[in-house]
Amino acid sequence: MSLLQRVKNFVRSRSIHVAYVDVGSCNGCDIEVLACLSPRYDIEQYGIYVHNNPREADILLVIGAFTPGWEDKLRSVWDKIPEPKAAIAIGNCPISGCLYNRPHTLIDPPVAKHIPIAAQVPGCPPRPTEILSAVLAVAPVVFKDFEVKKR
Amino acid sequence: MALSLKYYLKEIFRIEWLKKFLFARTAPLGTPTYFRNFPELTGKTCTHALFCMMACPAPGAIEVIKTPEGWQPRIHIGHCIRCGLCVEACPNGVLSSGRILESMFYDNTALSFSFRIDVDTDKCMGCGNCAVACPVNKLIDAQMSFGGRASTDELLLMVSAGKCRAVHVEKCTGCKTCEDNCPNKAISVTRLLEAIHCPEEDL
Ligand code: SF4
Ligand code: SF4
Ligand code: SF4
Ligand code: SF4
Repeated sequence: MSLLQRVKNFVRSRSIHVAYVDVGSCNGCDIEVLACLSPRYDIEQYGIYVHNNPREADILLVIGAFTPGWEDKLRSVWDKIPEPKAAIAIGNCPISGCLYNRPHTLIDPPVAKHIPIAAQVPGCPPRPTEILSAVLAVAPVVFKDFEVKKR
Repeated sequence: MALSLKYYLKEIFRIEWLKKFLFARTAPLGTPTYFRNFPELTGKTCTHALFCMMACPAPGAIEVIKTPEGWQPRIHIGHCIRCGLCVEACPNGVLSSGRILESMFYDNTALSFSFRIDVDTDKCMGCGNCAVACPVNKLIDAQMSFGGRASTDELLLMVSAGKCRAVHVEKCTGCKTCEDNCPNKAISVTRLLEAIHCPEEDL
């Protein structure tokens, strides 16, 4: 493994930029993602930085049951994220539609139909620790030796 | 001067302090034992009472399926919202999650089910499909046929004066067969779930 690759691996393991997008949720999971930023969970100590610019992001947290308004938009948010990238579905909503998945609702779950999802965190809402461990578990799989794996 | 500088540097670059500053970890990534997680099987025998499925608010979260060992509830992760109602509803304590069973035991609480049947008299055409389909009616009057004409007033549903009427609502088991069989969507069954406190009774 080249020195450059090693440096990249180290930096990527300590600097995971996360963007989140709410495609129609009840706000419960958004609050849990927010709770990850609080001193109690403090995700920045793990080198995870949350902001909302997909062009700088490595990981996209998708929240919500996919309402029709996101039909064309989620894909374009996903396409804006530079490689290497991964999307994580947070909560039951992007997995199954949760309580909204009933006859005559407009939602269109699962989100995996629309963009590739690397991991799912079930729960309504999931605990901040579950979100955190999902991000920490996905990051090395996707980012470590990315250039080597691509070749 | 040199001495105090040395003293300051020593104070600032204390190893333990540096370690804490650089490698601080707050909350451990653990789950407390009392956390109400996805319900788990306790190993007690399921009697196929289906109270769990009746109480569950999330579509497709719980199913009671037949396994070689007998009936068993299956929780579908990704659908289950971890509300714990199935744990409270089960009369046999087949499921457990967090401290629900313990606190139910100490507080002497239980869930009670009742059902409410509404017939939209504007839509009902008195065909009696609901009364014929209802499995509770079937037990009371196996001879009941088209039209839902009542032979006894013990029936749950019956057609009188061209409209469906729920006579003994307390006998309803909430199966919603009547809803499925009504051609006009005139009848609807609503589940009423109440938490009750029973200081006298033993759970
Ligand atoms: S999974 Fe539950 S808490 Fe999260 S957005 Fe959906 S309904 Fe809300
Ligand atoms: S915990 Fe709640 S949502 Fe999950 S299976 Fe039980 S009743 Fe359904
Ligand atoms: S819900 Fe089932 S038991 Fe109740 S009235 Fe309808 S068919 Fe009969
Ligand atoms: S409620 Fe529906 S099924 Fe029952 S008698 Fe009326 S129309 Fe027929």
